[in-house]
Amino acid sequence: MDTELIRIRDLAIGYGGQAILSGISLTIRRASFAAILGANGSGKTTLLKTLLGLQPPLAGEIKVAPVDHRAAVFGYVPQAIQLDPLYPLTGFDVALMGTYGRVRPGRLVPPSERAFTRDCLRATGADGFEHQRFSQLSGGQKQRVLISRALATRPDILVLDEPTAGVDAAATRGLLEFISQIHVAQSLTVLLVTHDLPLVRQHAQQIIWLHDGKVLHGTVAELFTPGRLAEIFETGLS
Amino acid sequence: MESLRQILSPDFLLRNSVYTSVLVGFACPLVGIFLVLRRLVFMGVALPQIASTGIAIAFSVPMWLGLLAPEHAAHSEHLCAFAGSTIFSLGAILAMGLLERRGRGSPEGRLGTAYVVAAALSIIILSKNRYGEVGWLDLMKGEVITIDNFDLGLTGVTLALVVTVLGLFHKEILLVSFDRAMAVTLGKNIVLWDIVLYLLIGLTVSMAVLSVGPLIAFGFLLIPALISQLFARTMRQFAVAASLVGGVLSFAGFWMAYEYNLPVGPADVVLLGIVYLLAFAARKLTPAT
Repeated sequence: MDTELIRIRDLAIGYGGQAILSGISLTIRRASFAAILGANGSGKTTLLKTLLGLQPPLAGEIKVAPVDHRAAVFGYVPQAIQLDPLYPLTGFDVALMGTYGRVRPGRLVPPSERAFTRDCLRATGADGFEHQRFSQLSGGQKQRVLISRALATRPDILVLDEPTAGVDAAATRGLLEFISQIHVAQSLTVLLVTHDLPLVRQHAQQIIWLHDGKVLHGTVAELFTPGRLAEIFETGLS
Repeated sequence: MESLRQILSPDFLLRNSVYTSVLVGFACPLVGIFLVLRRLVFMGVALPQIASTGIAIAFSVPMWLGLLAPEHAAHSEHLCAFAGSTIFSLGAILAMGLLERRGRGSPEGRLGTAYVVAAALSIIILSKNRYGEVGWLDLMKGEVITIDNFDLGLTGVTLALVVTVLGLFHKEILLVSFDRAMAVTLGKNIVLWDIVLYLLIGLTVSMAVLSVGPLIAFGFLLIPALISQLFARTMRQFAVAASLVGGVLSFAGFWMAYEYNLPVGPADVVLLGIVYLLAFAARKLTPAT
């Protein structure tokens, strides 16, 4: 039980009372690198939103264990394309938002939090464009800023929604290498949403595979065997 | 320049009108930037009209009921109109916000319908009230000339309250506007902060419409923000520049109207439009940085 950070029991998710996926039961361990894998429209983002509390579950429950006797903090990295380019925000402004959870309403962000935000930008290699307008950065640069913002929340769980969408191959490798490094260095629990099988095989330990209305859960070694893959895809083709 | 000297004189007869115009010019763009950023420009058109319907009803109902003699109760009437304007604009913005959250139907269609129905309703109500019709038509044309100390004080206090609350909770309102999902994961109550923003917009619109009319209110809510957006690189630059553009151009518009004997409201708005066009052209000619 000590190693369990998130426990999901008989969860049903969907919109407007219509379930996309149901009967989901799984656990995510502390300091693990878990991936939610699946094709477009399989329910990955819906599962993620439900986990983050952005939409209510249709049934079942999600329990997140406390960390150091306090509620666990999610560091959320959305898809950069979801953020409106109309806002005149610099890379630093966006990353600074990660500290807002610790600053009470009506108070200014203290210098210590601003310095910590700069540390986070430096850690992700995004300090070079902290003064540039966020909307004018490349896909990879935006993702680095958004990861800096997530780190600025001092997260217990880093949640990344398709972080490599719209990012070229070289930048994708760099990003995932970096995420793996901070996962190991900070014993951070990472939950990555993607449809990129090779990336998952290389970096993740736990897999939550959404396929054809079913949820498969296991380790890379368990799910990525030729026999199991053939079984999964045959099911899909039939 | 003689007209400028007269306007700046402390004894200037229309000094309260100048102060009110400038207050509205400085304050409206500060909430207007959130209308622009949240892509609620249509709301900026519809709300002043709905607020003026509230004023039309406030002008009419007490007289229909025989509760108010207009020549003896200017302050009561002004407060009554403020209440009508505030109730209508807050009610409308909260209802629209609720419908937007539910995500059903067409927001533009709702706002367009609200605008045209509000305008028609105002005309019907005031056609039955001769005294109210005159006052309302002045308001519609943006005739900012009959503002006494009480009106000026009410405008100043209301707008100061709006700017203070906006300044205090700027980071929460910005976060909820820019990235709602992030706000939820940080434990922010997005419904609460949406309501705070809507209340500020509603209060600003109702006060601005009551003081200077829907035409100027709409102009100063949106056009300074659009001008500032062309050049601003940060939110602070965006807000400060929009407010300065609004304040300076409201004064310049008043000066122009006084100099050439024009109605203040239309002069203000045309000047804003000309400056927006020039700024747009300048932005196109300036290399992107």
